[in-house]
Amino acid sequence: MTIDQRPPTAEEGPEEPTNRPTPMHLFRNWLKRRYAKRLIWLTLIISAGWIAATFLAVYFMNMSGGPASAIMSEIELTMYVLAWVCAPLMGVTLAIALYSMIGGWGRVKGDKQPDQDGPGIRNNSIATIGWAVWVSALAAFLVVWGLVELANIQAFANGSVAANQQPNSQQSITVNVTGQQWVWTFAYPDQNKVTTDVLVVPINTPIYFNVTSKDVVHSFWVVEMGVKIDANPGAITNTGFTATKLGTFNIRCAELCGLHHAYMETQVKVVTQDEYNSWVRENGGVRLS
Amino acid sequence: MTTATVTVTIHEAPDVIQPRQHGKPGGLLRYCNFVTALILGIVLAALAYWITGMFTTGEALNANFVPIGINVQITAMYVGWVVGFMIGIGAFVGPIRWFLGRDLTHADAEYLAGRGQGRMKFWKYTTDHKIVGIQYLIVSMALLGFGGLLAMLIRTELGVTWAELFNPNFYNSIIGTHGIVMIIAMIVVVSGPLGNFIVPIMVGARDMAFPRLNALSIWLLVAAIPPLASNLALGGLRDGWTVYQPLADQAPVGMIGYQITIITFGFSTAIASVNLMTTIVKMRAKGMTWSRVPIFVYGIFASSLMGLIWFPMYQYSQWFALSDRVINTSFYVPAQGGSVWLYENLFWLLGHPEVYVIVLPGVAALLELMVVFLRKPLFSYKFAVAGIFGIVGLSAVVWVHHMYMTGWAPSSNYPFMLSTEMISIPISFLVLVMLGTMWRARPWTRLPMMAVYAVVWNKVIGGITGVFLSDVPVDQYMHGSMFVVAHFHYMLMGAGLFSAMAAIAYWFPKMTGRYLDNRWGSIGFWVAFGGFQLTFLSMFAAGLQGMPRRVLQFDSLFNVSNWISTIGAYIIGIGMLIFLAAVINSWRSGEIAPANPYGAKTLEAQVPTPVPPENFAVLPVITSDPYGYGSPDPYELEDEARRAALEGGEPAKVGAS
Ligand SMILES: [Cu+2]
Repeated sequence: MTIDQRPPTAEEGPEEPTNRPTPMHLFRNWLKRRYAKRLIWLTLIISAGWIAATFLAVYFMNMSGGPASAIMSEIELTMYVLAWVCAPLMGVTLAIALYSMIGGWGRVKGDKQPDQDGPGIRNNSIATIGWAVWVSALAAFLVVWGLVELANIQAFANGSVAANQQPNSQQSITVNVTGQQWVWTFAYPDQNKVTTDVLVVPINTPIYFNVTSKDVVHSFWVVEMGVKIDANPGAITNTGFTATKLGTFNIRCAELCGLHHAYMETQVKVVTQDEYNSWVRENGGVRLS
Repeated sequence: MTTATVTVTIHEAPDVIQPRQHGKPGGLLRYCNFVTALILGIVLAALAYWITGMFTTGEALNANFVPIGINVQITAMYVGWVVGFMIGIGAFVGPIRWFLGRDLTHADAEYLAGRGQGRMKFWKYTTDHKIVGIQYLIVSMALLGFGGLLAMLIRTELGVTWAELFNPNFYNSIIGTHGIVMIIAMIVVVSGPLGNFIVPIMVGARDMAFPRLNALSIWLLVAAIPPLASNLALGGLRDGWTVYQPLADQAPVGMIGYQITIITFGFSTAIASVNLMTTIVKMRAKGMTWSRVPIFVYGIFASSLMGLIWFPMYQYSQWFALSDRVINTSFYVPAQGGSVWLYENLFWLLGHPEVYVIVLPGVAALLELMVVFLRKPLFSYKFAVAGIFGIVGLSAVVWVHHMYMTGWAPSSNYPFMLSTEMISIPISFLVLVMLGTMWRARPWTRLPMMAVYAVVWNKVIGGITGVFLSDVPVDQYMHGSMFVVAHFHYMLMGAGLFSAMAAIAYWFPKMTGRYLDNRWGSIGFWVAFGGFQLTFLSMFAAGLQGMPRRVLQFDSLFNVSNWISTIGAYIIGIGMLIFLAAVINSWRSGEIAPANPYGAKTLEAQVPTPVPPENFAVLPVITSDPYGYGSPDPYELEDEARRAALEGGEPAKVGAS
C-alpha cells in the first residue's frame, strides 16, 4: 500500500479522501482475530519455557564444579545469549505448529478426504520479507557475538588477558601435553622438566599448553576450564587457560583413540601459588621466576 | 495438477532396421539373479584371496607395523566379491552385448523391465523404476533394522553402568558400524524408494532416464553391504564411523571392508544421482516448467546434486586410506610427510553436505504431503526453492566446523563460523514455508500430517542446538561430547528418519496398492517419537555434564541421564517394531486404496494403482503447479476490495467466491 505522490491525472480522476487505514490500525484489527491473541500467548509461554531450560542447561554444565576459568564463564554467557536471542524464533515456530496441531484452526478426522479447502494463501510478502530480514539480522548478531567472543577466549587462552580482563602481569607457565594410548603426560619445561600424569597448576596464573600426540589423534579436554584442543601426531597445537577456582577438575580425551579411549582421563589440581611452588620442589624442579 | 490429454501420433519409419533377436528375450540375463550373484561373488572372493595369498608373504610390515600380506589378500577378496556379485547379477551383460553389436530388441527391453516374471523380478537386474523403488525400500529397511539393532546394543552397554558387557574392541566396532550403516541407510531411504518410484511419475516420465543404470545403482548398493557387515567378523571397525587416521591404520583388516563399502557405495550414489537429475531435467512432461515442478522433486534434485559433487571427496579419503594400508603410500602418515588433517578435511567435505543430502529429501517430502492434508497451497513456493538452493550453495563451505577443535587452522574458525551460522537463513526459509502452509488451515489428522508436527519439533531442537555448536566458544566445550551425538540424532533421525516414515506412509498406497494402517502406524510412530525425546533430551544433559562420546565406561555423574537414555532407546525400539509390523501387515493385507487416496493434485496421484507399465497411456501436459488448493481467502478478499476502492477501480466484491 504505497502512497501515490503524483498529482491526479485526468484518467485517474481526483484522489480519494485519505481514509486509508494506518499499519497500526491494521495490526490492531488483526489482533482482534481469535487466533492472534492465542498465538501470542503461546509464543510467550514457549519462549519463557525455553529460557528456563537454558538455566537448567548451564546448571548441568556446572555440576562437576565449573566454571573454573574465565573461558568457561564466557562460554556459559554465550550459551545464554544464543539461547535468548533464538527464543522468540523458537517460540513463534512451535506456537504456530502446536496451535495448528491441537486444532486451533479446526481439524478433520476420519478416512474421508475433507470436502472443504483451507484459504488459498499462496504468498504474503510481509511475512516472507519480514521473516528473511528478522532471521538474517538474528544470524548477523550471532555471528558478531561469536566472532568477538572467539577473539576473547583466544586472548584468554594465550594468557594475554587475565580473568579480570586486565593485562596479565603474572608470568605464564608452559606445559607440554603429550597424549598417547591411553594416558596424558604433562611436562613443565620451565620447571626443570618436571613430568607428571596429573596436571597441577597455580590459581590466577596463565597456563600455556603445547599439545601433541605420540600415536593417534586424541583431544585434550579440560572440562571445567572450557578448553579443548586435538592432540595430533606430527604437529603441535596450542591452547591455554587461567584457573580462577581452587579444586580438582576433570581432563578427558574427547576423540576416539582406540580400545581404552574411555579410560583416558586424569585430573587438574588448581592450587595456590605456595602449594604449587612446594609441589614443584618436591618433584625435583625449580621455580624459575 | 491440472492435466490436459493430447493424442500422440507415433510416426514409424518402416525402413529403419530393427535389432535382430538373438535367442530368447533377455539373453544371458535370463540366467542371472540374486542367487547366481551370491555364488559368483563368493567364488570370486575366495579365488582372489587364494591367488593373492600365493604372491604375498605374511611377514612384511607397513609403516604402522601392520602386516601387508593379509591386507592385500583381504582387499583382493572384497574386490573379488563386488566384481563377482555384479557379474552374477548380470551387470556386465549390457556392455558385452553392446560390444558385440547386439542391441536390445523390444522383447529384450520388456524382459529387462521385468514383464511377466512374477515375484522373481525383484531378485533380478530389473530396470523398471517401480521395481527398483521397491528394492530400495526393502534394502533401506533392512539396513535401518541392522543399524537399529546395533543401537540397542550400544544403549544396553551404556545403561549397564555397573559392568562392562562387551569388550572394548567389540563395543567400538558396533559404534562405528551403527554409525556408517545408519548413514548409508538414511542417504538412500527417501531418494532410493521414493526418488525412484515416485519422482519419474511425478514429473510425467515413462521411466528413469537410464533404466539400466538404475538397476546398476541398486545392485551396487547391495554388493556394498556385505563387506561392511563382515567387518565384525574380521576384527572390527573400532574407530567410529569417521575412522580418523592414523587410528584406522592400526585397525584390523575389518577396516578394509569399510573402505571397499564406501568406494562401492560412492559409485552407486553417483550413478543414482546422475540418473535422477537427468530424469528431472530432461524428462519432465510438456508444460512442467521449473515453477510448476513439485517441491519434492526439487528436494530430490538438490540432494542428488550435493551427493554427486561431494561424495567423491569421501571416496578419495578412503582410496587414500586403502592405499596407505595396502601399497604403503603415506597420505596420512605424519612421519612420512602425510597429514591427519588431510584426512579430516576430505572426510568432512562430504561429511557435512551429507547431512543435507539426508534431510532435504525428507523435508521436501513433508512439504509435498502437508499441502494435501491441509488442503492449502504451498506457502511461498519460491521461498521454498530459494531455501533449498541456498542450503545447496552454503553446504559447500561449512565443513570446517567439524574441525574447530583440531588445531588445524585456528584462524579459519572465524570465516567458517560465519558460513555455518549463515546456513540457518535458508533453513529458516523452509521452516517459514511449513508454518505459512499450516497457517489457518484445518489439518486432516492422518499419520503423515501428524508426523509433520513431530518433525517440526525435532527440527527446532536440532536447529537450536546446532546454533550452539556452530559457535566456536560453545563448541569448545561441546565438541566430542554426547551433546553433539544428541544434536545430530535430532537432525538425522528426528528430522530425517521421521520424515522418511511420513513420506513412506504417504506414498505407501501408490507403491503397494494398500493403505498403511493409520491406527497402528500412528501408535508405532508416536511411541518411537516419545522414546526418542526421552533418549536424546537426556543425552543432551549427559553432554552438558561433560560426558565424551564413544565411551563405554564413565564418571558416575552421568549415570542417571544414561539410564534414562537407555530406557528411551528401548521405547524407540518397541515403537519401530510396531511401525514395522504395521508396514508388513498393511502390505500383505491392508485396506485396498484407490488411485488417489488423499486427493492430491500431483501427477503420481492421477495414474492408476497399481501403476501400469510405462506409467502413462498418454503423456500428460501440465498447465499449472500442483498446489491449486484453497477457497478464496475471506480476509484477502476484504483487503482487495479495500484496495480496489482506494484506487477507484472495480467496486468491492466482499464475500464473492
Ligand atoms: Cu585419547
